Amino acid sequence: MAGLELSTLPQQLVNGILLGSIYALIALGYTMVYGVLKLINFAHGEVFMIGAYAALFASWGLGYTPNNAMSGSNPINLLIMLLASMTLCGLLGVLIERFAYRPMRNQPRIASLITAIGVSLLLQYGGQLFLPSSPAPNIDAKVNPYQDNITIPLRPVDGTLVAAAKQLEAKQIETKTAFDGYLERTKESPFQLSAAGQPFKKAAQDAERDLRTAEGKAEASGLSIRLPKGQMIMLVTTVVLMALLNFLVMHTKPGRAMRAASHDFDAASLMGINVNSTITFTFLIGSALAGAGAMMNATFLSGTKIDTFFGMLPGVKAFVAAVLGGIGNIPGAVLGGILMGLAETLVVWAGYDSYRDAIAFIVLIIVLLFKPGGLLGSNKVEKV
Amino acid sequence: MKFWLGRTGSILLAFALCAGIQLLADQQSDFVQRLIVLAGLYVTLAVSLNLINGITGQFSMGHAAFYQIGAYTAGFIAMKFYAGAKLPPELWMILSLLTGAAVASVAGLIVGLPSLRLKGDYLAIVTLGFGEIIRIIVQNQPAIGGAYGLSVAPRFEMIWLVWLLAILCIAVCRNLLKTAHGLQFLAVREDEVASSAMGVNVTRTKVTAFLLGSAFAGAAGALLAHFEGFVSPKMFTMDVSFIIVTMVVLGGTGSITGATLAAIGLFFLPEKMRDLPNFPLGNLVATGIGIVIMVIGFRHIAANFHGKMVERVLRYLAILAIAVVIALVLGPIVSKLPTLGVPVEGAKLRMVVFAVTLIVLMLLRPQGIFAHHEFSWAWLRKVLRIDTDKKVTA
Repeated sequence: MAGLELSTLPQQLVNGILLGSIYALIALGYTMVYGVLKLINFAHGEVFMIGAYAALFASWGLGYTPNNAMSGSNPINLLIMLLASMTLCGLLGVLIERFAYRPMRNQPRIASLITAIGVSLLLQYGGQLFLPSSPAPNIDAKVNPYQDNITIPLRPVDGTLVAAAKQLEAKQIETKTAFDGYLERTKESPFQLSAAGQPFKKAAQDAERDLRTAEGKAEASGLSIRLPKGQMIMLVTTVVLMALLNFLVMHTKPGRAMRAASHDFDAASLMGINVNSTITFTFLIGSALAGAGAMMNATFLSGTKIDTFFGMLPGVKAFVAAVLGGIGNIPGAVLGGILMGLAETLVVWAGYDSYRDAIAFIVLIIVLLFKPGGLLGSNKVEKV
Repeated sequence: MKFWLGRTGSILLAFALCAGIQLLADQQSDFVQRLIVLAGLYVTLAVSLNLINGITGQFSMGHAAFYQIGAYTAGFIAMKFYAGAKLPPELWMILSLLTGAAVASVAGLIVGLPSLRLKGDYLAIVTLGFGEIIRIIVQNQPAIGGAYGLSVAPRFEMIWLVWLLAILCIAVCRNLLKTAHGLQFLAVREDEVASSAMGVNVTRTKVTAFLLGSAFAGAAGALLAHFEGFVSPKMFTMDVSFIIVTMVVLGGTGSITGATLAAIGLFFLPEKMRDLPNFPLGNLVATGIGIVIMVIGFRHIAANFHGKMVERVLRYLAILAIAVVIALVLGPIVSKLPTLGVPVEGAKLRMVVFAVTLIVLMLLRPQGIFAHHEFSWAWLRKVLRIDTDKKVTA
């Protein structure tokens, strides 16, 4: 176990929140479907996976194929990818609901769960037959026009250390010019030096090493947080989508129908609410949010490899996030998602790298055993 | 007296059968031997999971974890203690079976405890999570090989023992259901509140089910370790749990007969598919369309046709024939399309078969093929004597 490096903690917290925003987007889908249907939509993670593929194909369509000559990009490309991913995922969610879950609605809940596992396995292994998965492709980083970081300094760099480094720099330049001059004069290769050249090389190397050490020390004396611009956009988009969702659920007619159906399914249908179309709508929105999460995950966390099992772990973690926040509760899903992201980065930060995937299940078991309603959920214990 | 005669006879018969299987397997190739062993192990796994899922109604999805614990226990004790023990191989194998079962049942106890508070899909997720946690923990223990795995040093292949365990597992479950103890399990499945009002100790029943089920899975794991000669965490992923769950669900949750037959069938089918030749993607698409037509047709008949059973069966057969014909005709045509002519590796279809089986089964017959029914001689006699009308309902 590595020692706990307190100086990297702020950066890790930020990373955790950024990662958590993706979990939050996926968790919203789980929570909405659970709220209305009381069904754990096991295939939600796979919808997320398909969303990543949709974004990948959209980026290929825009010309960012693995060996492209594109140099820059613009926000419009990102928007196209986002829309492609959200549309495809929304449609997929509706299809899954229509053909796999709706026929099961009068069956015991465990039958729906088994169907959901079946759909999830079908998309994972069936996808392998159709989708490029080995070697796992990734979205070209060039499609993201926001590559640079925003750096927020927390503690300024120690001035004396910087000055010390500056002094060493002069010596490094001096020895290096001497060494270069020697090479120039004798026409020797730097790798096959005669005995006369060795002291020059040693002096240059020593000076260089001292300089780098001093520079490193000076840098470590300061403390700053690095915010990749792309991931900041991701966070902002997530927040905007959540605000839209909240508006949709709380202030519009379909949203009211959704809340009514989740409160009492039968009574809602007696009040003239078309329950079927409400459920379809719920799946559409939830899956589209997963698609948005998938596109942003695959684009902004650059180098993310996409294969057909891409959605499994984020899916599980987001499900835990939904349970942690209180399943069926929209703000709870967001809170749970952020907490899960934090938990995961903190486990890695503490040195337990290999347990980063186990933490989700551990949190889940603890929550279900001690606070089954979740953090923001109702205390009415219905399941447990 | 008659009872004891029958009992002794059955036990002797079981031993004879196992000896027969061993004699038969000795003459076969390694591959066939492997199939025979794995079939026996899967029967044990499916029947033991059926005790938890089907008979007691606690939907558990982490059975691979117990299997893994048994396998690692057997591998570990073989590495550490075999040299010092100086036991004959048969005795050692039985000892390692018992140890594997004991350690796995301790894990079963730990996993079973949450089942006292959780129900349905939550229990399913938590057991799945326990399975993954156990796998990740094992993966991070250098003492037992970590992610690389552990080789089982003196290994003994005993095919008769595999099938003896399977028969023992079936016998234990069957006999359990014949006794008053077994009725408690069924009562807990049907209604927890009512059964506890009737004086059933719900807690003890659930924990017993988990203990027994995981013990058998652990014993199966010990045999697997000795048969393969090597265990690694990769052999016990979530997929294995899903495969066992599929077997139980397909056979009919609660039916020992169903679990046994489904385990044998579902296990052999994908093994056969390993050496399937490559074929164009179009055929797969056509098969998919055929399956969809079949499902829609079957559901339509089930919902709308209320005539005689014979006519109903004829209609089912007609739909099945139409679906098969459509799939066969459409396949070559669709494969002409450029994008659908791409060859697909048959071996990749293994898990797809499980997935499609699960979905189609849930859509057509969610209670499983056998539902709660069991094979019995009385049932066979009834079937043979009575006309076709009642045959299908039995």
